[in-house]
Amino acid sequence: MSTAISYQQACLNRASHATPPLRADDLSRAALLAQHHPDHAADASTLLQIGSSRGQPCHPRLAELLQSNALIDGFDLAGAEQRSTDVLVLGGGGAGAAAALTAARGGATVMLASKLRLGDSNTVMAEGGIQAALAASDSPQQHFDDAMRGGHNCADPQLLAQLASDAAGVIRWLIELGMHFDLTDASCDGGKLRYKQAGGCSQPRILSYRDYTGLEMMRVLRETVELEPGIQLLNRCPVVELLSHEDGSCAGAVLYDLEYQRFIVVSARQTILATGGCGRLHLQGFPTSNHYGATADGLVLAYRLGAQLRDMDAFQYHPTGVAWPQRLRGGLISEAARSAGAMLLNGLGERFVDELAPRDVVTAAMLRECAAGRGIERDGQQGVFLDLRRLCGPDQPALASQLPALQHLADKCGIDPMREPMLVYPTLHYQNGGVVIDSQGQSSVPGLLCAGEITGGIHGRNRLMGNALLDILAFGRRAGRQAARLAQAARNKSSLPPLRGGIEHVYRWQRQLALAGLDASQQAPLLYPGQARLTLHRPASARA
Amino acid sequence: MSETICISIDGKVMAAQPGDSILQTRLHGPEAVTANIGCMGQGVCGSCRCLVRKAGERETVSRLACETEVEDGMQVSFIDYYQPDHVHRYRPHDLRDGWQALPQLQQTFPETAHCRHCGGCDRACPRGIPVQQGIALASRGELPAAAALFDACIMCNLCTLACPENIRPNHVGLYLRRAQAIQNLRPGDLLRRLDQQARGQLSIDTTAHLARSES
Repeated sequence: MSTAISYQQACLNRASHATPPLRADDLSRAALLAQHHPDHAADASTLLQIGSSRGQPCHPRLAELLQSNALIDGFDLAGAEQRSTDVLVLGGGGAGAAAALTAARGGATVMLASKLRLGDSNTVMAEGGIQAALAASDSPQQHFDDAMRGGHNCADPQLLAQLASDAAGVIRWLIELGMHFDLTDASCDGGKLRYKQAGGCSQPRILSYRDYTGLEMMRVLRETVELEPGIQLLNRCPVVELLSHEDGSCAGAVLYDLEYQRFIVVSARQTILATGGCGRLHLQGFPTSNHYGATADGLVLAYRLGAQLRDMDAFQYHPTGVAWPQRLRGGLISEAARSAGAMLLNGLGERFVDELAPRDVVTAAMLRECAAGRGIERDGQQGVFLDLRRLCGPDQPALASQLPALQHLADKCGIDPMREPMLVYPTLHYQNGGVVIDSQGQSSVPGLLCAGEITGGIHGRNRLMGNALLDILAFGRRAGRQAARLAQAARNKSSLPPLRGGIEHVYRWQRQLALAGLDASQQAPLLYPGQARLTLHRPASARA
Repeated sequence: MSETICISIDGKVMAAQPGDSILQTRLHGPEAVTANIGCMGQGVCGSCRCLVRKAGERETVSRLACETEVEDGMQVSFIDYYQPDHVHRYRPHDLRDGWQALPQLQQTFPETAHCRHCGGCDRACPRGIPVQQGIALASRGELPAAAALFDACIMCNLCTLACPENIRPNHVGLYLRRAQAIQNLRPGDLLRRLDQQARGQLSIDTTAHLARSES
């Protein structure tokens, strides 16, 4: 680790400025990103050697998992419990819940399988809010323009246009399910929405519920799913492999039921992957703000079945992760704090970046400060200061009412944010790329749809605050609607239950691994990120 | 930091680092953790609920393992989630008519009136919500006041487990909060934008950015 300024000295430097000066910048944004963003490190990219995105860049750790062997073999399916459904949704976060609810509403029988428990996801942890261009001064076009620019003009324009256009319908749907949003004037009939500023946006466009928007959203979605008779919920049933027909299309999935320690084979007319991202891989050695289950499971399985991926070398490192105390390292401080006026200071007490620049720019600027020895060190942890003094003025409402989750976090850190700044360091937050989808969430594999963080293309190479919560709902609903439609069409052709598939694609994949000389002993998906690996139960006769 | 302490998790003794949370200690154990874990420290998912007894104390308290620091001699028992055998089903559109709010609440959660004021829910709540007062307000028909008390509820279901009358207080709270939004929230900005889009206005030019990036 490079040298840094001691915490005590940094506090003195901070106190010497009544108004911290903003240092003039000598680097263009492009140069700053190229020199300091983790995506651009020499060891952050390799080329995929096999599969339908062969030759494309990908983070090496992720490439290892993508080019790995299956967890199961054909004999695991013999004697497994057989089930069937119109639509199988894999993943219990916001995208999975939205897809399941919409598919059930579309008349399909739905099964929702979750590795942990419905709602244990990044959605519930989202704090900042959801973008929706609803204000009279705003428009979907401006939302599109901001996100396109924030993503370095790499987003799929069609998908991004749908994201921006779907926002009003998504907010209406959430209210119809019973979600609250912050209002500026609650006494006004019908409510007047409060908009917050997001980094990289031309005007305030974030709708929120305090600073636990994701909790408010997920508790409403979870309750709706649990009470929906058309959805069968399978908690603690991770997906371990997808199933395929002879023509290569998706036929459902193999789940592992942790409670009974056995495999379940689910034959489905349409399968929706909503398994999220990969923060728990700790790419480039960074801490992560992600929940326990973010291990790229769905991405690995979709790729093995033949789905195309994109931008697998573009990740978001959120600027303000907790750096001290060590036990809370990586935990998130919402961008809502900077939106409300929090400043970033280096060890000299200077501001060094516009706090509301896009996230990748702010992160690169913070890493530059640390690399140049202007970072701050406290008990072996390095970072920069997040200074909340502008939120704590006498004319401001108490922090506990403005940003209750931040106050709660400061309490856990043992910090009084009125007096003391928080030490922050970038934290792995979001997978910008993922499975290539069309406007209805359809992947390049027939029968397989994807929604949420597992997909790529919507945000380009950098996502703006508030566009993830919008993405999971807009595209979760689109995928759910499309899956129900396609399942209905299949049922009209044949009223028989969906055909059983197999794992021929796994055997084909194993041949490719061998031909490319790749290590076939490495198995994925990871399922759980801890040091101790789960051993899947196998019948005694099949044990080695 | 080199000093280690011992705690017992689900009957197994484990070495722990002072300053770590119960959850962090459990993750260093020999077995893969597959349940009672989610947000890992933010305290919003409610998955890592557990019963905790400190050394030398008789009382057992419910806590979130991700937010509770280990202490030497602590005994911890995680509480599984289960699907309750009977819940009262309702659908969001059942809540649209505010005039029916009270009879509907009584019909959907008839146990609400049976509260015996044991205070078990209040002691169980890791967020310090005055749960029992919320249920009392709800059964008296003070619905907005009752709903407001459940604002920061993380749906860990500990109050539901604690209630001897099967009231499911957190679900009552969520029901009331949802009803409030469903009945009252009609922001003018949203109504106008939906209307504009229904008329086919405000479509997006997906090529404008190309011209800009060239210039």
